Amino acid sequence: MAAELDLDRLQRWMHAVIVHPGSPQQAVASDTAQREVPLSQLGAVILPSATLTPTERLAIYQGMYPLRMEEALAADYPALQHFLGEDAFLELVKQYVAVHPSRSFSLNPLGESLPEFLRTLPGLRRREFCHELATLELAVAQVFDAPETTPLGEPEVASIAPEQWERARLTPIAGFRVLAFRYPVNAYLQSVRDDRHDHPRPRLGREWVVVYRRDYKVFRQPLTGPAHDLLKDLAAGLPLGQAVAAALQRGRRAPEEREISGWFQTWMQERMFAAVATS
Amino acid sequence: MANRFKLPDLGIGIGLRTVHFGEILGRAPAVDWFEVLSENFMRTGGRPMWVLDQVAERYPVALHGVSLGIGNTDPIDRDYLRELAALARRTRARWVSDHLCWTGVMGRNTHDLLPMPYTEAALRHVVARVKQVSDALERPLVLENPSSYVEFAASSMTEWEFLARLAEDADCGLLLDVNNVYVSSFNHGFDARVYIDAIPADRVVQYHLAGHTHKGTHIIDTHSDHARPEVWELYRRAYARTGATATLYEWDEDIPELAVVIAEAEKARAFQLECVAGHGG
Repeated sequence: MAAELDLDRLQRWMHAVIVHPGSPQQAVASDTAQREVPLSQLGAVILPSATLTPTERLAIYQGMYPLRMEEALAADYPALQHFLGEDAFLELVKQYVAVHPSRSFSLNPLGESLPEFLRTLPGLRRREFCHELATLELAVAQVFDAPETTPLGEPEVASIAPEQWERARLTPIAGFRVLAFRYPVNAYLQSVRDDRHDHPRPRLGREWVVVYRRDYKVFRQPLTGPAHDLLKDLAAGLPLGQAVAAALQRGRRAPEEREISGWFQTWMQERMFAAVATS
Repeated sequence: MANRFKLPDLGIGIGLRTVHFGEILGRAPAVDWFEVLSENFMRTGGRPMWVLDQVAERYPVALHGVSLGIGNTDPIDRDYLRELAALARRTRARWVSDHLCWTGVMGRNTHDLLPMPYTEAALRHVVARVKQVSDALERPLVLENPSSYVEFAASSMTEWEFLARLAEDADCGLLLDVNNVYVSSFNHGFDARVYIDAIPADRVVQYHLAGHTHKGTHIIDTHSDHARPEVWELYRRAYARTGATATLYEWDEDIPELAVVIAEAEKARAFQLECVAGHGG
């Protein structure tokens, strides 16, 4: 039996055991594992050592798998881990990687589906808060890893004639996300990073944030609602004149022109845009 | 004896780790060379890449991967190879290494270094893949002996026999991790000295040294501590056979200050001098 077990089958079996979320005994006895190697044949595949049975030896790999996944996800989601607590976060990791295992040579994209996963996870406390907190942390991670793009320089801005700005379309840098939340997740993330104990409560409270990278550092800048709407329109490629006109017509939340001018100046100074097109 | 690939003895190096970025760029410590974990610098365009560019300007660099999956039964990931080759060009990497292991199956990656059965079929499989990878990278691949916690009943040869035949048949280099030899010798009950003595010395391009964690019933390769005296003894034994060969200290968990890692790596120099003076082996 052992000598005839081909490499592909051996790997499918061992993989099934390693990624099984239950005990080592449950893992080797699982249907997926036994499709490749019946439990009765375990000793014909893995040798015991002087101190460990075959199952105990496999358990070393099986035990390390969720911890490795947890370490990778905790690096991207420290505030979510803090909110849930370490035990609950590890349980979440086990459930998540069972549905979304790594399919990349890099661990960087492992957590890409976590915010959406949280939306539908049964039994999760404060689901919406967790979803939004994870959405913000994913944005931070993605901005950190985004390709480096040269920001718009002063000469390029100066080369745009005043009458051309009306039709100008701005392209944000790759490391840029503009986000709106129903819960104070940016304040929560900051309180975790500051190692404070007075975390904001996960109660409704709107926040608007732009996440961007400048000089290889990731920044999170709170926005007002109208500033968020305008920045989002600009990032979506709306001509400047059209985006500003839309901002000025947003009823109760309409900003004044000098406010818009101030925002725009800040966004340019923070080098959030990579290109401007006037045609 | 120089390795048959004429790859240089880079001296004594350490792994480039995020926690040391600031200090390395700030005070350019006296380290002969850095080993870079390839995947940490692939598909990222931010500060890590910027730091790596600075380091590669000042120090010799070698790439060390964990996701090649040379023993996988899935097809070789060509995108990965393209990106790896681009990183090697960008950093002017002296060589590119990975592990004799498999990492996943059916498109799924466990991000672990899983052991191979040492069979004729597995040998043929890995030899063919090493040749493909070396062709794609346009340089000989360098493979590291793994640490492992299971042994397969199907194995028809020892790990050192497998490695020696693999190196010969695939014409690849070896990265001899003496801590891994020690860890596996305890876990599987073989004589580490026999392993060291059987490795073809002219294929060894690089050494790894590291600490491990003894669990009583088995040893885990944690890279979380100083190297044990038994590991240094194995290094002395191996170095006496290979002669001047690039040596690197790995510290990946509970990483201490840079000065502590450098001091641990520098211990290798004394063993090297002993070997040069003819006292080793």
